[in-house]
Amino acid sequence: MTRLLRGEVAKLFATRLPLWSLVTAALCGGGLTALLSLIGPENATPPLPGLDTPEGVGIVVGMSGLLLFVPALIGTIAVTGEYRHRTIGTTFLAAPRRGRVLAAKLLVFGALGVAYGVVSSLFAGLAVVAGAAVQGVELGVSVGALLALLARLALAAAVYMVLGVAIGALARHQLLAVGIVLGYFYFLEHVLMIIPGVNVIHPFLPGGATAALTDFTFLGDAIAEQLPMAAASTTSPIVGALVLLGYAVVAAWLAIAIPLRRDLR
Amino acid sequence: MITAQIEVSGLAKRIGDVEAVRDATFVAAPGRVTGFLGPNGAGKSTTLRMLLGLARPDSGAALIGGRRYAELSDPTGTVGAVLDLAGAHPAMTARGHLRSFAALGGHRAERVEEVAGLTGMAEYLDRRVGGFSTGMRQRLSLATALLGDPAVLVLDEPSNGLDPAGIVWLRTFLREFAAKGGTVLISSHVLTELQHGIDDLVLIDRGRTTWSGPLDAFTSHGTSLEAAFLELTSGAESSPVPTADATATAIEGIRA
Repeated sequence: MTRLLRGEVAKLFATRLPLWSLVTAALCGGGLTALLSLIGPENATPPLPGLDTPEGVGIVVGMSGLLLFVPALIGTIAVTGEYRHRTIGTTFLAAPRRGRVLAAKLLVFGALGVAYGVVSSLFAGLAVVAGAAVQGVELGVSVGALLALLARLALAAAVYMVLGVAIGALARHQLLAVGIVLGYFYFLEHVLMIIPGVNVIHPFLPGGATAALTDFTFLGDAIAEQLPMAAASTTSPIVGALVLLGYAVVAAWLAIAIPLRRDLR
Repeated sequence: MITAQIEVSGLAKRIGDVEAVRDATFVAAPGRVTGFLGPNGAGKSTTLRMLLGLARPDSGAALIGGRRYAELSDPTGTVGAVLDLAGAHPAMTARGHLRSFAALGGHRAERVEEVAGLTGMAEYLDRRVGGFSTGMRQRLSLATALLGDPAVLVLDEPSNGLDPAGIVWLRTFLREFAAKGGTVLISSHVLTELQHGIDDLVLIDRGRTTWSGPLDAFTSHGTSLEAAFLELTSGAESSPVPTADATATAIEGIRA
């Protein structure tokens, strides 16, 4: 297994993927948060709570959670690239125990996901602190609470990258896998969120669990304001974290188990 | 070099509605270059993929040194494979690719320079694979196959995209590999490509191996290799062991 991990790490660093992932993380984490912080959430249309309130900080920082499909896509593109460029054959020749190969890949990308999450959260944190300083307001939460929120976002990023790798390993075809990831996070989950009756399962979908984990109910609340229905509920952050990890474990297990019997073509 | 024999017996595989391989049975011996010849779609690649554990046979067995590929304790240290399914990532340099697969196979990092020297691509090591010509890709594929210093080489249509000088170079390389005790199994649908470089011949047609043995024995019963080949790959459906006086008819997909 050590050999497989070393192999996967070597493969990862033989491309510029780690570098670009972290640059993307900095942009996704810092960019959106910086923009909102500098404009000032209270100047948005409609006005949002300011940075001097806990809600305001939550919305501004949690906004970067809307970009969690990015680490998922990085994982998906990386693993489907093995099929697209037919390196998967070379890989399985060197390591015929395919389950272990996928396990090593998931571990390596889990680590990259943590790095992505840490960089993304670091830049989001810096952006919100800088935004408050520029506006001359006191941040609405304690440093400890801000760090806890950022840590939860980082965890979510790592889980999404693992989910992305698993989806890629199962779909194998690059465009199909990217379509699944974008289609789900951009479209299907939002649809499920607004269908009365169906939206009771929302807290247990990846997006709902993420919202619970990061305390980010902004979208659900906004939808509820527009539609004559109750906001899609969320569970507690702990349950949200467990649900998300559960998805990652199930997806990883499928990704390890299913390719074992498939023929390469 | 520890030698290892390839033994394929009764291999069969259905892909969708097509019986891609119906009965593949042959041996490739150490110290010899064995040509695996058949028209397009005869089942050569499918047979080789089953031999290398990339596809599962419906029945039959494919063994290397008495073991299935997946059971080998040091797979790439035993068998090197050049397949179109075993590619390289275009964003990697040749060095990055070779380093990665040396690490994955558990081979020394110094092997990267060594195999690059062996395959004549030392000056291409730091170029990105995406810019490689087909010939350079084939050399990189062979270099990858050699990382584990294997006793067996399996090559699926390796001459595709090689220029005439490259083909001669490859032939010489494989001869030297076999002379040191290595087992070489090389597939092709091009007769002339094999006839100068092989010791033994295995013929496959419509999923069934129809003839195997030393190349000399094959050509001695026909006027030429080409005539004998056409004779043996025609009407083979009804007679698994065709006779030497079977009528020669041309079949599609053969290029001499």
